[in-house]
Amino acid sequence: MMNPTLTRREWLAAATAASGTVALTGCTTHAPITPSQVSIVRAPLYDQTLYATVREIVEAHRLDVRGKRVVLKPNLVEFEPESSINTHPMLVHAAYQAFQSLGAASVHIAEGPGHRRNTLDMADAAGYFQTGARFEDVFTDLNLDDVTRVHPKRQFSRLGKLYLPDTVLGADLLVSMPKMKTHHWTGATLSMKNLFGVVPGGVYGWPKNVLHWAGIHECIADLHALFPRQFAIVDGIVGMEGNGPIQGTPKRAGLLVAGADLVAVDATCCRVMQIDPLQIGYLRLASGRPDAHLMERNVRQIGESIAAVKTPFELPPDFPNLRPPASAGKGGVI
Amino acid sequence: MSIDALIGKQNPDGGWPHSRGRSWTEPTAYAVMALLAAGERDRAGRGLAWLRATQRGDGGWGPQPGIDESNWTTGLVALLPPDTLGARLHRAAIEWLMGTTGHESSFEYRLREWLLGGPKRPELEFAGWPWIPGAAAWVGPTAIAILALEKENTRRPMHVIRDRIETGRKFLVARSCEEGGWNHGSVGALGYASKPYPETTGMALAALRGVHAPQVARGLAVAHRLLSECRSADAQNWLRLGLAAHGELPHGYCVPQNLAYRTIPETSLSLLLSDASRAREFFWC
Repeated sequence: MMNPTLTRREWLAAATAASGTVALTGCTTHAPITPSQVSIVRAPLYDQTLYATVREIVEAHRLDVRGKRVVLKPNLVEFEPESSINTHPMLVHAAYQAFQSLGAASVHIAEGPGHRRNTLDMADAAGYFQTGARFEDVFTDLNLDDVTRVHPKRQFSRLGKLYLPDTVLGADLLVSMPKMKTHHWTGATLSMKNLFGVVPGGVYGWPKNVLHWAGIHECIADLHALFPRQFAIVDGIVGMEGNGPIQGTPKRAGLLVAGADLVAVDATCCRVMQIDPLQIGYLRLASGRPDAHLMERNVRQIGESIAAVKTPFELPPDFPNLRPPASAGKGGVI
Repeated sequence: MSIDALIGKQNPDGGWPHSRGRSWTEPTAYAVMALLAAGERDRAGRGLAWLRATQRGDGGWGPQPGIDESNWTTGLVALLPPDTLGARLHRAAIEWLMGTTGHESSFEYRLREWLLGGPKRPELEFAGWPWIPGAAAWVGPTAIAILALEKENTRRPMHVIRDRIETGRKFLVARSCEEGGWNHGSVGALGYASKPYPETTGMALAALRGVHAPQVARGLAVAHRLLSECRSADAQNWLRLGLAAHGELPHGYCVPQNLAYRTIPETSLSLLLSDASRAREFFWC
């Protein structure tokens, strides 16, 4: 269940943010913030046009992947026929082809689902095997991959160490490809929360409950800080609203959101979903300078504007207060 | 899929990977069971030597050498007969299991909950086993630990072991899904009932052998339905074992032909189940 009270670390982060705001209004001692670029691209359907759309997105961000090892990390949770739980396989395949055609040395698809052990059976049921003849050759079950011990760099959580799969630790670029969904514990699950899937069930079990005890928001922020080279492509063509991430209702938003700064990407998704990103604990923790790339003014939006595509996602039952303030979007508050 | 295929996947150090790579405790324990059942004592012996060499100082096994914490795979290793693993090592594994519970059963956690005055949650009342110490108990590791302790209690009856088994079984019964069967251990979320999974339904039923309760009856009904629907080797293995534990595996049942056996545990368990009497030796006496 969600803990409605702030943890000590969240209080500290909030206090830091508040003092930072005071400092900014008093005298600007920080260097100017470089805006993060985020794309919002309309994609009404899962069809062949996705292949060109995804390639254009990657090119727009000038990602140089020539000779690099790219790992695509979709969100594969459970499979139910009429649901929108998982990242659509066609989108993942479109990204696979885009990075290959742009000269990546290798492109792997990798995921470690949090509830079920039989990852490839789920991928099969979810349609991943139908996207290409060699799916098993390019897929790594992160739950069962060999691991290496690492230590969180920014240490938001109580985790002193983590064992992470060699496939993701060896990636030159980790591409988080989540579904745009609400989440009954964190409010929203997007490209940063999707990183839970890199934590190996073979070490931590199913579910990866150690992360819950160590603080969900804090662990997400720790994981985000561990991977220096990331990109995100969020599947918002059909997302999920209400009691996500599993039992919610499909929600058609008809778009993809992408960028190299996962905080900015997720904050943008929140605005599209009509969720206040400042209410999402892990975004506050990971944003670095006081709320830097959470703020709309610190995001360089390309493609569609938020105003043109925003569509309110029904909120999860335990999060009735996630809506942005009434002034949001007018004065650039968030 | 054959014993030869299993042998071909054995690493030079004597252990097995999940599918490729370094040796892990879980696939090695399953592979050793399958090889012992098939009479491949030499190859099994190398696997046993790997297991003996990787037991940790606290009596448990970590998921892989180099991971500095014992975990649920200790229960799997404890399913091996003491005379093959080594009596002293086996006893230490049982002691590790007896000393391990989910964090929600700890005095510290219960005191905290009492002080906070939260509502009493019936599903947290009984102690099960976690995947890794410091986390909550879940269906999978609890089922494996019960199977190991039940065998130990048959060999060496003790009240304390009997009590842990009973409490663990109450944990499983309390975690049964509303429609019957079991998932990873979540009865519901925010008022919504969670659905059962085939593999964990089979695991729980195996651990509840001999238990008569409405939850078991509903679980068996769900297991029969899932057995006819699911096309996962892992799920088929555990459903067969769970139904067999209650004498309900349909007579002459044939596993679907087109299943993909992708991991060593899937392959090993399937080989083991091809001879029902040998499978019984490893999972219950």
